[in-house]
Amino acid sequence: MHEQLAAFVLRSLPGARDVEIIEFAPIPGGFSRETYRFDARVGFDDREEVLPFILRKDPPKEAAILHTSRAVEHHLIEAIRQHTSVPVSRSYGFELDPAAFGEAAMLIERMHGSGQTSNLFNGGPDEHQVDDVIRHLCEVLVALHEADIAALDPHGALADPRGVGVDASSWDTYMDTTLQYYIDSAPDMAFDPTMMLMLDAALTLRRTKPRPMPLSLVHGDFNPANFLYADGRVTALIDWENSRIGDPREDLGWMTTMDILSNTSVMAHPRDEGGFLAYYNRLRGTDITMEEVDYFTLFGTYNVAVPVNSAITRRVRGEHQQFLHLYLIQASAPTIPNLARMLNYPGVPG
Amino acid sequence: MNTSPTVDDLLAGLIVAISDDILPNVANAKAAATAMMMQAVLQSVRQVLPVYHANITDEHNQMTRTLRETADVLGGAIGPEADRIRARAAELGARADLPAPPDQAATMAAHRTLSEALWDTIADLDVLQRAGDHRADAALQVVRGHLGPRYMRDVATVVVGAGMLGRG
Repeated sequence: MHEQLAAFVLRSLPGARDVEIIEFAPIPGGFSRETYRFDARVGFDDREEVLPFILRKDPPKEAAILHTSRAVEHHLIEAIRQHTSVPVSRSYGFELDPAAFGEAAMLIERMHGSGQTSNLFNGGPDEHQVDDVIRHLCEVLVALHEADIAALDPHGALADPRGVGVDASSWDTYMDTTLQYYIDSAPDMAFDPTMMLMLDAALTLRRTKPRPMPLSLVHGDFNPANFLYADGRVTALIDWENSRIGDPREDLGWMTTMDILSNTSVMAHPRDEGGFLAYYNRLRGTDITMEEVDYFTLFGTYNVAVPVNSAITRRVRGEHQQFLHLYLIQASAPTIPNLARMLNYPGVPG
Repeated sequence: MNTSPTVDDLLAGLIVAISDDILPNVANAKAAATAMMMQAVLQSVRQVLPVYHANITDEHNQMTRTLRETADVLGGAIGPEADRIRARAAELGARADLPAPPDQAATMAAHRTLSEALWDTIADLDVLQRAGDHRADAALQVVRGHLGPRYMRDVATVVVGAGMLGRG
């Protein structure tokens, strides 16, 4: 592994002549990719540097939750770095040949900042920073949503990155084709028929489309575990593999769901601005309502639930033996009451 | 409650995960032995669970008979010990047999059939709703009225702690 990794670093850094890998270790978390941290002592003609890296590697195909391209993720990260103020790690390169690491992989800069975002909440040691960090997080999201799609996705790779027939040429076609994808996916994602809540959700979403809004690049997994912070600022928004062209309200909705699953309260901050949605509206001059956030909480949750629940279904059928997928059944359960509430289920507290 | 994965599927998954994800990374021999003991206990639980209630019920019913037969064989023996044995036979041995618990596999299959019927009902109601039949809106609320409390009970039963493990 170290030899292959050194070769990968060497060909990703122009001017490097020798590389030594030091302190290589897996990072827990990151449910969809295998992630490792390491430093590399890199010799250039005129100097030597120790550089911090992350290796993001695809899991075995049968166990993968999201089937996405490391090349697309690399090009997106570099476009974001070039065209927006969104803080992201530099992506040095990608390796699609599985001969090197067993599966496709990418090499990115390890940014400074803490990834222990749970420390910002529930009396954690960084709770004094939470309003400043989340204020900046909201500003970062606005910068992303207002970025020029053509600059970030010049070749259209993010219009339908899963290749499921999504047509992002207009808001209506985007919504209609995405909802059809959700409905068609319902049988595959139902590892148990009690998941009929999700079928009900998809059909209800199709019957109750909200007012349109200009499409933008959405992060796609905007959640409390996907940013780093230090000194009251977001130092990096991370994990871009589910990014795509979509409705910006999807990111707000998915954060709402993940606040519940993560036992965090991002959406309640910054408090002096009346919370995340109020601050987002003020920054963008929009008037997105809580009802719309509810709609896109269902919509955004569905977007992630399709691949996650489909992977769980494959595990239940015995197509692979990953334990994580069994854990996710009970770990994702706390979101069910919120989904049922938004669908007006009797007997579910409002 | 889900019928898939089954409780047995979850236990089997734990045994595999200990082999695949834990044991290869355990350097301490005592910890490795403990991990293998955990696998043995989990396998034992897998074997016990399918027969537990049937066996407990069967043993209950056998014990009432045993108490009665013991007193019968003792006949007219005298003394406080014999009196206590006859008293137990008269009180506990007279208990009625417990009914055999329903077959778990059959119960789960029946449950699954009805869940699939509700799934299909939701899909059919959507067609009627989109056609403008407002009676279907009310009918959907009947299905939701069944599912709402059921989901609340499920979540209260299965959730452990707050927040996903293994993330920031």
